[in-house]
Amino acid sequence: MPSPRRISPLAALGSFLAFSLLLAGCGPTATPTAAATSKPQATNTTAPTAEVITYKQAPILDAQVSSGDLPPVVERLPENPLVEEAESIGTYGGTWRRGFLGPSDYNGYIRIVADSLLVFSPDGTKVLPKIAESYESSADFTTWTLHLRKGGKWSDGSPLTADDIMFWYEDILQNKDLMPSIPSWMKNSDGSTVKVTKVDDYTLTWTYLGPNTTWPLEMANKDNGDRAYPAFLPAEYMKQFHAKYADAAALEKMVGDAGFKTWTELFAMKKNQAENPDRPGTAAWIPTTAVGKEVMVMKRNPYYMGVDTEGNQLPYIDEVRMIYFADAASLNVAAIAGEFDEQERQINLMNYPVFKEEELKGKYKVYTWPGFGGGDADVSFNQTYIKDADLGALMQNKDFRIAMSYAIDRGAIKESAFMGLGEARQPVPAPNHPFYPGDEYAYKFTEYDTAKANELLDGIGLDKKNADGIRLYPGTNKPVQIEISVVPAFGPWPDVAQLIAADWNKVGVQAIVQVRERALHFQMRASNDLQTEIWNQDTTGFPFTGNPKLDPRTMLAGGITVWPLFNTWYNTGGTDGLEPSADAKKIVELINKARTVGGAEQAAVAQELFKLWVDNCYEIGTIGLTPMVQGVVVVSNNMMNVPTALGNDWPLRTPGNGRPETWYFKA
Amino acid sequence: MLRIILQRLILLPILLLLFSVIVFWLIQAPPGDFLTSYLATVASSGSSIDAAQVDAMKTQFGLDQPFHIQYLRWMENLLHGNLGLSLEYQLPNTQLIGERLLLTVILALLSFLFTWAIAIPAGIYSALHKNSALDYFFTVVNYFGVATPNFMLALILMWLAFSKFGVSITNLFSSEFIDAPWSWARVVDLMKHIWLPMIILGIAGTARLTRIMRANLLDELHKPYVVAARAKGLPEWKLIFRYPVRLALNPLISTIGWYLPQLFSGSLIVATVMNLPNIGPLLLHALTQQDMYLSGSILLIYCFLTILGTLISDILLAWLDPRIRMEGA
Repeated sequence: MPSPRRISPLAALGSFLAFSLLLAGCGPTATPTAAATSKPQATNTTAPTAEVITYKQAPILDAQVSSGDLPPVVERLPENPLVEEAESIGTYGGTWRRGFLGPSDYNGYIRIVADSLLVFSPDGTKVLPKIAESYESSADFTTWTLHLRKGGKWSDGSPLTADDIMFWYEDILQNKDLMPSIPSWMKNSDGSTVKVTKVDDYTLTWTYLGPNTTWPLEMANKDNGDRAYPAFLPAEYMKQFHAKYADAAALEKMVGDAGFKTWTELFAMKKNQAENPDRPGTAAWIPTTAVGKEVMVMKRNPYYMGVDTEGNQLPYIDEVRMIYFADAASLNVAAIAGEFDEQERQINLMNYPVFKEEELKGKYKVYTWPGFGGGDADVSFNQTYIKDADLGALMQNKDFRIAMSYAIDRGAIKESAFMGLGEARQPVPAPNHPFYPGDEYAYKFTEYDTAKANELLDGIGLDKKNADGIRLYPGTNKPVQIEISVVPAFGPWPDVAQLIAADWNKVGVQAIVQVRERALHFQMRASNDLQTEIWNQDTTGFPFTGNPKLDPRTMLAGGITVWPLFNTWYNTGGTDGLEPSADAKKIVELINKARTVGGAEQAAVAQELFKLWVDNCYEIGTIGLTPMVQGVVVVSNNMMNVPTALGNDWPLRTPGNGRPETWYFKA
Repeated sequence: MLRIILQRLILLPILLLLFSVIVFWLIQAPPGDFLTSYLATVASSGSSIDAAQVDAMKTQFGLDQPFHIQYLRWMENLLHGNLGLSLEYQLPNTQLIGERLLLTVILALLSFLFTWAIAIPAGIYSALHKNSALDYFFTVVNYFGVATPNFMLALILMWLAFSKFGVSITNLFSSEFIDAPWSWARVVDLMKHIWLPMIILGIAGTARLTRIMRANLLDELHKPYVVAARAKGLPEWKLIFRYPVRLALNPLISTIGWYLPQLFSGSLIVATVMNLPNIGPLLLHALTQQDMYLSGSILLIYCFLTILGTLISDILLAWLDPRIRMEGA
């Protein structure tokens, strides 16, 4: 197996197939023995035999060990530590300088540490154990077993056991004050809560009512991300803030002293390491200052469970310093000046040429990690628009949507808005992803063909034009006007919108670009006031977990405007909104099915889903596979082991899946 | 005079109560709330939140409560002498503002001193040597100073520093000193950085003040009492400084109280552009993130200082100018 660093993100996706096939091989029809996706796996989890390897530690810890403040490294590590491969064996020391935008940029910290039981491989195709030792499923995918590392410890030296997970399960997940509703991944198909059982101190099982193949992907995302509750918490530490365990008077005093009103607020804050550096963790670096400070400092965790292939305890780098910037633009200025050792987050794609210029002068290295998802500026059409019946009906017309796709000159968008990066395509996964529906669909309706567009528009009765050349609704004098709502924040979307509007005007559809502040845009999305919008499609790589944007059930704030009223229908159990169309129901059905099957079968369902999505043009793709979402990576010349290619997506916690604990400074 | 001061002080809490309602309402007026902003921020970096978690956060932050409950919650804290808790930072607002207060005041004081140290002499010179070469020079510079928005000036200087010297001149400290405890080395580092924002923030004020000083002094210079004093043989230098300059300063003194809220606010845009660790960016960020308790608290303090500043101006003016004192009594 080649080193993960050399895997190109596209080629590497192919190995997802291997993983998928493995799952397929374990399907109900296969041998009934426990289906292992990773049970004591040779490649990534097993330490070199203990007799041969003597574990070594960072010199900075030597004094603490000799003074007796810290136990020796071999006692700090679990019996079977995580072995992390990297391009080269590193040297200890140094401070990694980064920038961040304060508490709202909370995930900037989350992504570096990727502090979860399971973690994605660098290419993003496999789920590997991290803090946990291994996991496996039953042959029918109803029971998943998680094995913890014997002797593994929290950063304060206390043991991490099954009790820490049971605390989350019993006292957080099922506590109505902390979690008003159970998250979907912990719900069975009948709405009941999935059962988690402690088998012994280091083993737990998740038992679903039916088959579930999304468990590993979900578990890889159970960290503090988005201020969520991770599936494992230091129970002994957290109990002092939990109403069930803490002394009522003492707890009330703590709540008051911290300025809170209820214990749940205090509890939520105390579990966030970035807000409460006292909370023990398991990541390679542990915060020593809070996220609200001018600098957020993280120092090495002497109990981190990972070692390199020669038995050196990771991480190599002693300290991470994230400097606060009030604004992304000034962060970019500092990045351009070369003030960071590695930075990809908040780097603006628009500055790419400047970074390349500076790279040529030898100032630093610049890599690109393109996104998985496939669409970086897509137009979605509201299928449940009711404020204007004519327009609503028009947007529901498939030929109209296809015509609008043909009318877009994607070459111009790529060159002027995306600086020649990426490619013209529909919102489907990257080519070597097993869910890729084929070139035929990826590029369907993407050629620039105004003749075809005009023909389609004439064909649906829009053959009369007014004096300005704008088409009229059949039998009326009402011109066809459509609004494109766009938020001037996350990508070059306002520019894309202007280009699209000009293209649509050319075929007689008057498009009006409305640049809106994001909160207003979100509110209009929720109140079903948007006609079309520009957003990105970054969830096609993981369409069955998390909150895929093409799932009609995904909350509107995290989705796109395709069918707001169907969303209401699903969220209210059918009492409000509009009954979903056949296509919407089909999509829900396909997603539900994919969650119960593995391997090739799952890939087939995914392909069917994307074919339906592209065929109907609910969301028109323009340009995709660009490094728009934190994919422009600036790396100082002496920072080593940073992957030149890396799977880049939120579920992967990029750059966390690039194993930052193995990065180091060349002496 | 004392009565006026007392009247004003009694009015203060009533005004503040009124302002607090207006401020809180204004902050809540834009669509969405803190959670919407948070979701948008999260969406921008490619992640998404489960609906169950949004519910949990909504309850945790009290955003499921109606407007008046949220307001009362804030008021309750204010009456207990604390400014409540920032939703975003999960820290007391008093602490967040306190941490930035010192640098905010230092920077504002320095730019204030810079403004006066340049503007008063320049204004006096221009008035005394009206239409001289140097007066024209000051005039041109002043027009540029007034006409250039200071954030623009900041951007231009930042670009120049980067393109000519390859350094980014953001922040008030070098990165190793940002979180260091106060020491002589840190003060030196601050001095190395603070002069540029000081000039940028002061330049427009300097230009305006020079013009005012010049105009005021020109008004006075040709009044009969000046001619009379000169005729009586008073030395020119003594004459100018003892009478017309003192009178010309009056309008400036009357505005000195207005600097009080400015001392506290920090310059919103310049500080954001230059990444200065003062209260300006904190307020701007709290507003965009709809962290209503933090932004509300900062704005309320701002209102308080504005009222206080006006009062101080009035007192100062009465103290300096006997004519006003007479009328007041």
